[in-house]
Amino acid sequence: MAIFDEENNRLSIKLVYYGPAQSGKTTNLMRLHDILRPDLKGDIMLMETANDRTLFFDLLPLGFKAPSGLLIKFKLYTVPGQVVHDSTRKAVLSRADGVVFVADSQRTQSTNNGEAFANLEDNAARVGIDFDRLPLVVQFNKRDLSDILTEAEVLQRWQAAPWPVLFSSALTGEGVVETFHALLNRVYDGLDREFEFQNRHLLSREAFAAQASGQIDRQAY
Amino acid sequence: MDTDTGHDFERDLNLQDLLLGIDKQRLATALQALLGAPIAIFDPRGACLLGASEPTNDIPGLPLYGELEPIGTIAAAVPQDRLKAAADLLKLLLHTNARYLMASDLHLQTQQDDFDELQRRHNALEQSEQRYKALAENLELRVKQQVQTIEQTQLKLYEAEKLASVGRLAAGIAHEINNPIGFIRSNLTTATSYLASLDKIGALLPTCQDIAALKTAWQREDMDFIRQDMRDILAESISGTERIAAIVKDLKGFSRVDETEWEEADLNVLIRQVCNVAAAELRGKAELQLDLGALPLLHCHPGELGQVFLSILLNAADAMGAQGSIRWRTAFQDNRIVIEVRDTGRGIAEADMPHIFDPFFTTKEVGKGMGLGLSVSRNIVQAHGGELTIASRPNTGTRVTISLPVKPGS
Ligand SMILES: Nc1nc2c(ncn2[C@@H]2O[C@H](COP(=O)(O)OP(=O)(O)OP(=O)(O)O)[C@@H](O)[C@H]2O)c(=O)[nH]1
Ligand SMILES: [Mg+2]
Repeated sequence: MAIFDEENNRLSIKLVYYGPAQSGKTTNLMRLHDILRPDLKGDIMLMETANDRTLFFDLLPLGFKAPSGLLIKFKLYTVPGQVVHDSTRKAVLSRADGVVFVADSQRTQSTNNGEAFANLEDNAARVGIDFDRLPLVVQFNKRDLSDILTEAEVLQRWQAAPWPVLFSSALTGEGVVETFHALLNRVYDGLDREFEFQNRHLLSREAFAAQASGQIDRQAY
Repeated sequence: MDTDTGHDFERDLNLQDLLLGIDKQRLATALQALLGAPIAIFDPRGACLLGASEPTNDIPGLPLYGELEPIGTIAAAVPQDRLKAAADLLKLLLHTNARYLMASDLHLQTQQDDFDELQRRHNALEQSEQRYKALAENLELRVKQQVQTIEQTQLKLYEAEKLASVGRLAAGIAHEINNPIGFIRSNLTTATSYLASLDKIGALLPTCQDIAALKTAWQREDMDFIRQDMRDILAESISGTERIAAIVKDLKGFSRVDETEWEEADLNVLIRQVCNVAAAELRGKAELQLDLGALPLLHCHPGELGQVFLSILLNAADAMGAQGSIRWRTAFQDNRIVIEVRDTGRGIAEADMPHIFDPFFTTKEVGKGMGLGLSVSRNIVQAHGGELTIASRPNTGTRVTISLPVKPGS
C-alpha cells in the first residue's frame, strides 16, 4: 500500500522479492543496484550472514521525480527465504505494493518453490493483502544451470496462472531488469487509479517503468 | 494490520535517529582533527546536532543523504573535496547505524508480533479450555441424571415384567385352585343331601318302638353306601384343600419378592415351587423333568432367584414348537451350586446371540411379555456372586447354566 507523504510531496512504493531460500533474491537486488540508473539510487543495504543467507532483509532504495514534481520512491526488499524466518518474512511482506516471486529453476527445487509460493499466499492473507489483487510476477532464476526445468515445462505448469512468468540468470544479470519492468507494469495500474499518475502527474506507464529503472535510452517512447 | 506495535522498521529515520548511540563528542573531535577546522551538522530545519555553531552563509556546507533524500547538512570551512570526503565518511557511519536500527526495529516488531500471536493463541486455548470444562461439568451432571432416569425406568420395567410373568401364571393357577374347589363344593352338596337321609332316620327315633322299622328306614335310605361315600368324599375334599394349601404356599414364594432380606434357602424347593406355579402354563407344551441333586442351603434372596428361575422356565416354554421337554438339573460341586436348564426348543438365532444380554433385548412380539429379560436375570445372579451363561443351537435347544458360590460357614 503506497504511502503518500504530502509534506514532502513523496510517494513511497514497496516492492518485495519473495521466494524459497537460495533462489537468488539477494542476487537480483545486487544486480539491479549495479545496472539501474534512475535519478536517485541509494546505497544497497545487505543483511547477510557469513554464508550468503539473508537474515532480516535486503533493501535497495530508488527514486525519480515525476513531471508533476512528485517524488516517487521505491523500496525494493528481499525476504529471508529460509523456512525458520517466517515472522520476518511476514513483517517484510506487510504493506507490499508488488511482489516478484523468485523461483529456482533447478528440478530438485520444485517442492521448495511450491512450498514458498503457498507460504507467500498464507502470509499475504495474514498481513491483510488481497492476494488475488496483488501485482505479482514470477521469475524462474538460474537459467544458466543444467538440470533445470525447460521453459516449456515451466510455462506449461504456470499456464493457468494469471501472472507473467519470466526467466533469468541473476548471477549474470540476465532477465533481472525485465522482471523488474514486468512488475512495474503490473503495479502501475493500481497506482494510476489511486494517484492519477497519468492525469495529475503526467506519468505514462512507459515513463514510469523507464524512469524507475533509468533505462530511458533503451526504451522507445 | 499487525505492524502497529510501536516498532516499525520501515519508519523514516531522521538525522537525529541515525546519530543515536554514536558518541557525538568523539565524532566531532575526530572530524575536526581530520579536517583541521571546526565542523557542524544541522538537521533540515537548521537545528545544530553536532558542533557548536549556527549555519552561516560564509561557511560552506554539503547535504547529507539518507536513503535517497537529504536529511541534513555538514558544514566546515574547508575545500569542497575534503568536505565531501567528510560527508562520505559520515554517510558510511550513518548507513551502518541505519542497518542496525532497522534490524533491531524489525526484530522487536517480529518479537512483539510473535508474542501477541502467542498471547492470542494462549487466550484462545484458555477460552476453549474453559468451555470444555463447563461442558464436562454439564455433561457429568446430565449423565448422572440420565443414569438416574434409566435406573428408575429399569426398576419400573422390572416391576412390570415381574407382574406380567406372575399375571401370566394367574389364569393357570386359578384353574388349578378352581378344580379342587369345584369337587369340594360338589362333595359338600352331596354331603348335605346325605344329611337329609340321616335326618329322616333321626325323625323316626322319638316314636319308633321296634328296631326293625329303623333297620328298614336305614336300608331305604341306603345308609351303608352313604357312610362309605361320605368317608370317601371327605377324604377327597381334605386332599383338595391340601392341594389348594400347597398352591398357596408355592405362590407365597413369589409374594416375598419385595422382601429384601437375605435368608438361607433350599434352591431345590424354590425350583419345585416355580415349576408347580408354572405347571398350568407348561401343560401341553413341555414335559418337565426334575433331576435335583442334594444341595446345601444357600444364603440368598429367594424371591429374586425365584423370579430368575421362573423367567428361564417361561422362556423355555415359549421356545417350544411342538411338544418338547424342559429338564432341570441341580448339583453341588466344588463349593458351587450348579443349576442347569435344558430345553428342546427352537434355540437362539446366531445373529441374536451377541445381544441376548443387552438390556431390553427381546425376540418376542410386543405385548407378549418378555419375562425378566436375561440382562436382569444375569444381574441378579451376579449380585449373588454367581454366573449365568447360555449355550444354544438353533432348532436343537438351549441350555442355561447358573453357577452360584456357596460361602463356607453360611
Ligand atoms: N548459477 C546461478 N547461481 C545463482 C543465480 N542466482 C543466484 N545464484 C546463487 O545462488 C546462491 C543464493 O543466492 P542468493 O541471492 O543469496 O539467494 P537468496 O534467495 O537471497 O537466499 P536467502 O537469502 O537465503 O533467501 C548464491 O550463491 C548465488 O550466487 C543464478 O542465476 N545462477
Ligand atoms: Mg537473500
